[in-house]
Amino acid sequence: MATKAKSRWADDEADAALEAQRKKEKAERKRLKAGKARKLEAERQARDAAPREADSADGPPAKRRRVSPEREATQPTTGSDGPSGVPKLLRFEGGTFGRCRSVENYDKLNDIEEGAYGWVSRAKEIVTGKVVALKRLKIDPKDRGGLPITGLREIQILKDCDHRNVVKLQEVVVGDDTSRIENIFLVLEFLEHDLKSILEDMPEPFLTSEVKTLLQQLASGIAYLHDNWILHRDLKTSNLLLNNRGQLKIADFGMARYVGDPPPNLTQLVVTLWYRAPELLLGATRYGRAIDMWSVGCIFGELLTREPLLQGRNEVDELTKIFELCGVPTEETWPSFRRLPNARSLRLPTGKAATGSAIRARFPLLTSAGVALLNSLLALDPERRPTAREMLAHEYFRQDPKPKQEAMFPTFPSKAGQERRRRRETPNAPARGQQAADFGAVDFTGIFSGREREERGGGFSLRMV
Amino acid sequence: MSHMTNPLATPDRLFQRRSFGALPLELQDTIFFATQCLTQAAGILLQLPQSVTAQANVLLARYWLVEPLMAHEFSDVSAATLYLTAKCSPHPRSPRDLSNVYAYLLSASSTFFSPPTAPNNNNNNNPSAYYVSETAYQAFHTRLLALEGRVLYALSFDTHVALPHPLAVTYLQALEFLHVPKETIGGKAVQYLNAALLSPQMLYLTSQPNTLAVAAIYNAARDVGAKMPECEWWEVFDVEREELGFLVVGMRSVEGWGRKLREDMKAMGVERGMIMRKHVEAELSRRGLGVRIGNKVDAEEEAARMMDEKMEAMEVAG
Repeated sequence: MATKAKSRWADDEADAALEAQRKKEKAERKRLKAGKARKLEAERQARDAAPREADSADGPPAKRRRVSPEREATQPTTGSDGPSGVPKLLRFEGGTFGRCRSVENYDKLNDIEEGAYGWVSRAKEIVTGKVVALKRLKIDPKDRGGLPITGLREIQILKDCDHRNVVKLQEVVVGDDTSRIENIFLVLEFLEHDLKSILEDMPEPFLTSEVKTLLQQLASGIAYLHDNWILHRDLKTSNLLLNNRGQLKIADFGMARYVGDPPPNLTQLVVTLWYRAPELLLGATRYGRAIDMWSVGCIFGELLTREPLLQGRNEVDELTKIFELCGVPTEETWPSFRRLPNARSLRLPTGKAATGSAIRARFPLLTSAGVALLNSLLALDPERRPTAREMLAHEYFRQDPKPKQEAMFPTFPSKAGQERRRRRETPNAPARGQQAADFGAVDFTGIFSGREREERGGGFSLRMV
Repeated sequence: MSHMTNPLATPDRLFQRRSFGALPLELQDTIFFATQCLTQAAGILLQLPQSVTAQANVLLARYWLVEPLMAHEFSDVSAATLYLTAKCSPHPRSPRDLSNVYAYLLSASSTFFSPPTAPNNNNNNNPSAYYVSETAYQAFHTRLLALEGRVLYALSFDTHVALPHPLAVTYLQALEFLHVPKETIGGKAVQYLNAALLSPQMLYLTSQPNTLAVAAIYNAARDVGAKMPECEWWEVFDVEREELGFLVVGMRSVEGWGRKLREDMKAMGVERGMIMRKHVEAELSRRGLGVRIGNKVDAEEEAARMMDEKMEAMEVAG
């Protein structure tokens, strides 16, 4: 170990460490010999030092090093400390670990809905009186794979997240019988509404300023997720919750997962059909954050019209609807699309009418900045979609009318708070193990037959952008 | 920040282990070390990346600070944590694969803790020794799933583990690899980090990844004779001098620990292979501490174990 190249300083450090260790042990022995009074005294000292030691809890407490004058004595003078002698170090707090609590700590109030991954009900924490949403994981006892990976991923991801636009996981609780872990509940913060049911029931669409607030919150939540390498993979209005203070939160992380860079191979069987990006429909297994941004585009459209934007009956129909709205891809608008598994044998119409976007015509009341944003979110080429951060900086949010303050947001009669169950009309996210659609040779050439009429409809002239 | 932080053990929990644990401390340490080694061996045979196996090591250590050691067979706990981490990673492994690997590692033909070079090694590879019958597989599978739930319950479903390995590489880059070949110092540092997973001092439960990374670099630099900056460079990485000193010593002592624990195992009659609950129970009764610790076993198992114990005792006597 001893080599010539070693710095003199390195030696000092190791010796000092050993010395400190030895001294500590000696002190320990002495302390044990001493009477009870001294023990109490030591305990008091330990308590005083506790806040400091809690940071660097690196040994059993009985053997804990004390912050002693030794430190000053052995401190090399070459240190870069200021006159105070205490350098400012970042402390990393990771909390601790321990057993789950029991679901008996909560009183169930009423059922809210049943999703693909579990039942959700409203409940009250008995001690605090706080109202929460309890989501019970669906566990198939016949599944010999153990606990569902989707549930475990959702728990882990939500545990790691802390953002005002992402629903908070308070804790995970289990049924009273802990000898077999079968009843698992996620305790989530309770929000009164989901965006889907609000949109279904509102007589008038959201105001532009309200749409902007919602989109801004959505983008900021997604920016947080994407910054932390999380893909949501099931963004849709029924997974966006809204409370009575105008705050939007992203929920339902059953499809979400961590990704790396470069992205790993992933399943294309994600995202509810109506919000699924074209590259997924064409069978891409390497995809990224842009699939979430496509869903944001679909949600944007839905916020404006109160109707889901692209309601395909199946994969092929969904793709047809996408091409009708955004135009068919060409080598210029989406250079690599022909290389995707399902795109090789597609027969697409050609000509200018087919390749242009119909978004301008579909949303006549949207400002040109709004159309530009929607167009970019619904770009066929995933590379051309903006990131969530870029979206937040978009001109659209700076134009008048400005995003409405959350506190000024209108309130809605609560569904979740009452006895009524939420209806589910949107299709669900695809299930694991499902077969991916194989298109073979699908003929899309006929999809634009009615387009000429469509663009002129409405009775007023449109400026094409 | 979650990529930089781990949940740590509370002092209470560490203290509890020392005071109320019905098992003598050195036995606990032996079990811990052997089971962590077993997990590593299984990870290699299952062709899992070290990043996955290392996470399983950390989860296992956490689990045993919450739940009693003797509640389940050690190898089952190892299998369950490895199954769970692999499942949550991009490299899931089937219960069937785990069953085969663990059956092999626990068999008489296995080279686990019994390298072919060992002097009194008389094992030749006998595949029938690790053949897994369908009933054995079903039983293993059921135990695996029950323990998976149990581990998750004990850890509040928090399977998050931030490993220090990537940090160590990043820090080394920042230090320009201390002007020695990258592979030498990087490899050494990673070795220290991997060895620390096995330490009964449970370094991964008491220190955050940045501290572990810095200590590993420090040790590696000393081993290869690299010149470190002549200032308190660890503070750049938010590590206190005291913490560093403790970890440096802790990491260096793993090898010695390992040797001693292997000797302890031999002294308990575990000449080769994995230590099992029956060995520990035999050892306890030998020491006159024959307390049975918090596990519900059915009468049949109980009888089988008593037989085993007797056999064990006879062997020791003879």
